[in-house]
Amino acid sequence: MKITFDTQTIEINSSGNEYLATLNEKTVSVKILRTENNRMDLLIDGKRVTAYVSSDGAKRWVTINGQTLMLTKISGAKRGVRHDHAGGLIAPMPGQVRSVAVSVGDVVKKSQTLLTMEAMKMEIRIQALKDGKVKAVHVTQGQTVEREQILIEMED
Amino acid sequence: MNRFNKILIANRGEIAIRIMRACRELGIGTVAVYSEADKDALHVQFADEAILLGEAAPKESYLNADKLIRAALDSKADAIHPGYGFLSENASFAAAVESAKLTFIGPSADSIRAMGDKAESKIMMKKAGVPTVPGFEGLDSDDDFRKAAKEIGYPVLVKAAAGGGGKGMRVVNAESELTEAIESARSEALNSFGDERLLIEKYLVDAHHIEFQVFGDKHGNLIHLFERECSVQRRHQKIIEETPSILLTPNPSTGSGRDLREEMGQAAVNAAKAVNYFNAGTIEFIFDPKTSRYYFLEMNTRLQVEHPITELVAGIDLVQWQIKIAAGEKFPFTQTDFTQHGHAIECRVYAEDPSNGFLPSTGKLLQFIEPHGPGIRVDSGFAKDKEVTHFYDPLLAKLIVHAENREAAIQKMQIALRDFIVHGVITNIDFMQAVLAHDDFAQGKVTTRWVEQNLESTLESRSLLLENRQQAVGLHMIAAALADLTFASSNSQPAVSNETDPFSPWKHMNNYRN
Repeated sequence: MKITFDTQTIEINSSGNEYLATLNEKTVSVKILRTENNRMDLLIDGKRVTAYVSSDGAKRWVTINGQTLMLTKISGAKRGVRHDHAGGLIAPMPGQVRSVAVSVGDVVKKSQTLLTMEAMKMEIRIQALKDGKVKAVHVTQGQTVEREQILIEMED
Repeated sequence: MNRFNKILIANRGEIAIRIMRACRELGIGTVAVYSEADKDALHVQFADEAILLGEAAPKESYLNADKLIRAALDSKADAIHPGYGFLSENASFAAAVESAKLTFIGPSADSIRAMGDKAESKIMMKKAGVPTVPGFEGLDSDDDFRKAAKEIGYPVLVKAAAGGGGKGMRVVNAESELTEAIESARSEALNSFGDERLLIEKYLVDAHHIEFQVFGDKHGNLIHLFERECSVQRRHQKIIEETPSILLTPNPSTGSGRDLREEMGQAAVNAAKAVNYFNAGTIEFIFDPKTSRYYFLEMNTRLQVEHPITELVAGIDLVQWQIKIAAGEKFPFTQTDFTQHGHAIECRVYAEDPSNGFLPSTGKLLQFIEPHGPGIRVDSGFAKDKEVTHFYDPLLAKLIVHAENREAAIQKMQIALRDFIVHGVITNIDFMQAVLAHDDFAQGKVTTRWVEQNLESTLESRSLLLENRQQAVGLHMIAAALADLTFASSNSQPAVSNETDPFSPWKHMNNYRN
């Protein structure tokens, strides 16, 4: 079975009481010694590895040797699809929209503040990347937004 | 002596729990307060009673003095402990608490007020013989500022007299920048504090932040409890603190004979005595390693976030003593009763992403495993399944270690950080590992601007530390894939979609999380 995380695909096949994992044309043998509360003790090519794995939708949080990585599992159909949002201004952090300074149709200058956001006592100004016209405003004052959510779109 | 029966803790997160532990150990009841966003928070569950203040916004909850005092009176508490942040350094709040016939666990409102004004406190410190950064207060015209800057020598710093938190503060490198800097600092000061007074002083490049803990009772006894080196900072906020500071540990080869620690400690005591200080406080100094000179920066009239490292090295429970002192008890110790034992380090585990400009990260904690072991202390405000919201400070927990010497403490911290597992929000754990492993940190060369100047290379050095990065990513992928195979078989298939991800999937791969 093949699973893709972000840009890489790993292939896992069971073989007797262990697994064979193939990544970048290299295959290693993996034995699961124990799984308990999202903790896995593995034997990878004879080496003992303890991994903590949590999943949340398509996200996989994995910690091995104190290093935590967040991987995103990509479903087959969606693989490689690029989400184009040129001209879109996105939230650099999760938080709350404090004020929206522009409306649709407004002509704005480069570096003009379009919107302010607040999170954890920090205020962030979302500014125009270049001169242009506001095409869409997707949020209102007081609204809670996720990181990477599109806030404002500009006309090309 | 009027012992307290019940204390209301006007705070949240790890510090609220820290204070409740002290209350419990002293046999005092605890009242938690919380906002709607915190109804399932750990500090609420930890207290004997809990009172809802209101909406999530701080001014409707943790910053609302009236609601807090009413909650204390309704719950028949005798005293309020403000923790740090929120209303802890608000003189009007301290006065209002006392007016309501409750005890404010902290210094007097007058001490808070005196130290709250940067210009006034600086004048007071000069009078008390405490070294201050060369500069001028009470100037008005641009011309006066220009003359002053010339006399001090560039770079200079203009900052709001009523200021704090880096607001209304500008570094000026040359005379041509001065007028604009004054204007913008003034308007920011007016907006933030309703007070446009500015002071001007020398800007010390590549300085260290070294602070001294002071502690006094209401009977005139006041001592210091040594220093804390807090130079590892981002956005003027501390990340890693330690004590003792290696800069104050006399180096026999220089043989100057100056005992800097004793000198600075005495200056700290003089500074606190100048405002008739009692309870726990901290005198912050800027330290110039090139000249070994130190200058008063400001006094924090409250318990500090980093108080645990002092507790471990000095062997005292500061929060218990804060409570006893507030109740009128005498502090029975003198300066010579204390010595520094071993070395302590604190790492602040923040829900923030170093590779995204240290911006906050929020979400539900899918995993939260704290390290344990001899010499390891975790002051935490979170647990698995708790929600990290965007309303409050990003501090998840403080990891504190204590060992025989600095080298051993660093090593202990590195191992403890490895065992601290947080999933669901991005943390700075990996970044702190990179700092601890850096030569500059080992040699005590980290200045307050170090993180800013070395961020990129530090993040890179961390990935290079992995013998084979590709292999490490591979291990993570194997684990994730096997987890899907084994856990998913019992569960329903997890929702697999990247539709909501507006970014190309290429983004995440080279981005080291944590």
